[in-house]
Amino acid sequence: MTTTTPAAGTKTPLIPPSTHRYAEVIHRLEAGGSMLPDTPENLQQIIGIYKAYAVPMDFYWRDLLYIAEQVFLNPLPAFKYFISQEYLDRPCSYSGDQSQLRIWRGGEKAHPELIEFMERGETRRMPKLLHHLWHDRVNMEFAEACMQAMLWHQGMGGRFNDYLASDAYKANADRAIKAYFKGNPLMLGLYKLFPDMVLEQVKQLSYYSNLGLFWEVMAPVFFEMSDLYDEGKLTSVPQAMDFLVNGIFAVAGRPIYHHVFIRGECFEIIPKSEGFTWLYEAALPYVEAVFYRTSPFRGTKSYNAQAGQVPANQADFHYGILYADVFPVGSAGIPPTLLMQDMLHFLPPYLQEMYKTHRRGEEDQLIQLGITFQRSMYNVTSAVIQALRCALLYPLDDSDPEHLTANRQFFEAQMDRFLRPEARLPDIQTQDYR
Amino acid sequence: MATILETALAAGCFNTLLAAVDAAGLRGTLEGPGPFTVFAPVDDAFAALPPGTVQTLVDNPAQLARILKYHVIAGAHGRSALVGQPEWSSLEGAPIPIRRSEPFEVKNATVVTADIACDNGIVHVIDRVILPG
Repeated sequence: MTTTTPAAGTKTPLIPPSTHRYAEVIHRLEAGGSMLPDTPENLQQIIGIYKAYAVPMDFYWRDLLYIAEQVFLNPLPAFKYFISQEYLDRPCSYSGDQSQLRIWRGGEKAHPELIEFMERGETRRMPKLLHHLWHDRVNMEFAEACMQAMLWHQGMGGRFNDYLASDAYKANADRAIKAYFKGNPLMLGLYKLFPDMVLEQVKQLSYYSNLGLFWEVMAPVFFEMSDLYDEGKLTSVPQAMDFLVNGIFAVAGRPIYHHVFIRGECFEIIPKSEGFTWLYEAALPYVEAVFYRTSPFRGTKSYNAQAGQVPANQADFHYGILYADVFPVGSAGIPPTLLMQDMLHFLPPYLQEMYKTHRRGEEDQLIQLGITFQRSMYNVTSAVIQALRCALLYPLDDSDPEHLTANRQFFEAQMDRFLRPEARLPDIQTQDYR
Repeated sequence: MATILETALAAGCFNTLLAAVDAAGLRGTLEGPGPFTVFAPVDDAFAALPPGTVQTLVDNPAQLARILKYHVIAGAHGRSALVGQPEWSSLEGAPIPIRRSEPFEVKNATVVTADIACDNGIVHVIDRVILPG
């Protein structure tokens, strides 16, 4: 691949170097690289954390779909995290022999490490209810926080959110609501009195389905990357990014839908025939809502909205992983810490060893792995940026200066989002940010 | 004169596009009176997409139809008309930008042959599959 950087060898660059504050990163992206520098340690960190992320993610997507499709409008969903065996065994669409597009070479059921953890937890083998009450389990609250970020921010491209306001959606939801509460005059009465309240719950459940279908793809992608790395077949950060780019394209057209099963009957609240796709209605809104925006986490840091410390415009929210100061955010009970705790259970040995040799060793593993996660998500975001460039703009080795300028403007616009002081892009350029 | 699909079939370089039109159930629409303006990607354009991209779409007709509809504009518009407006609304709903008139570029694709007149519209042959967004 021809690069457009000044350091690209003997070729004269077709366009002048960027003068952007992150020109070095932009030139790297133009050369087919990632926002994350290509070092052996970065590669090891991101692949290790992808593996540690994929195992709980295998639970998240299954339970998100279980809640969206089976728990549905249960007014007291105390057991929504008690996923059924059917959903633990539900064949993943992207792994196992039955999958039409096999991304991971592994099996189609829940990952063995996940099953083992669900049985033993951090403590010991005991009834599921005790694990739940002791909070010795997968932190499904993290997945719900991501879903709520997507629900709350809304309108981030794609047509999913518009459809939730359509008459067709309301009619489909109405049928499902009435079927679900059939024979329950109290809930049917409540629905009659406050129809929008129940409809809003269904909309939220549609986002459960959306995120579940999104992560059903990402878990096998991360498992396969980990296996390829272990075999020595993924040897650089750009290779890891390219694997993600190819994965994004391969599943871009996957339908995003919301089906509900009530007494054995399937209600298509969002039918596949609406044409919603994994890329436009799930992946891009997810990246925007979760990587960039989210919202300030309770109990971590005080913000004075009157003093303008919280943006008036939701599009300017910057509380996602790409901006997070992992140390104060790493307080107990908040979504990022819940994820870190989940990933801690499945760290590959080489990452455990790495963390022992830095900072406070085992004492601050959650922080160290949080920063590793941040690096890894900068790489995922790089893959999304490169995929968008590939889909909407021009090849990196294009010979037309106007095309290269259009690519440049796109990369610079993406980097503008990291000009605010909270962005961690400068930090991840060096290895001593841990 | 031939219809849009007959013209594409005769050209011999739109096999993937024609298969996709059938898989998406759009044959009836494109054989109708239209008229339509179709930006038709050649086989090489589909082949340039990363592995699995086309197959996933073919397996999901509604999603495939959405992408194909992004290549179609209502009405018959020749090159001279198209370049007179910065963007056009596709049947998919998203706008198709006209990026350059010389060479003639539609979004990130280059029109390799423009203004192929058909019974029910006009075909412009493009070298890349264009995607909304």
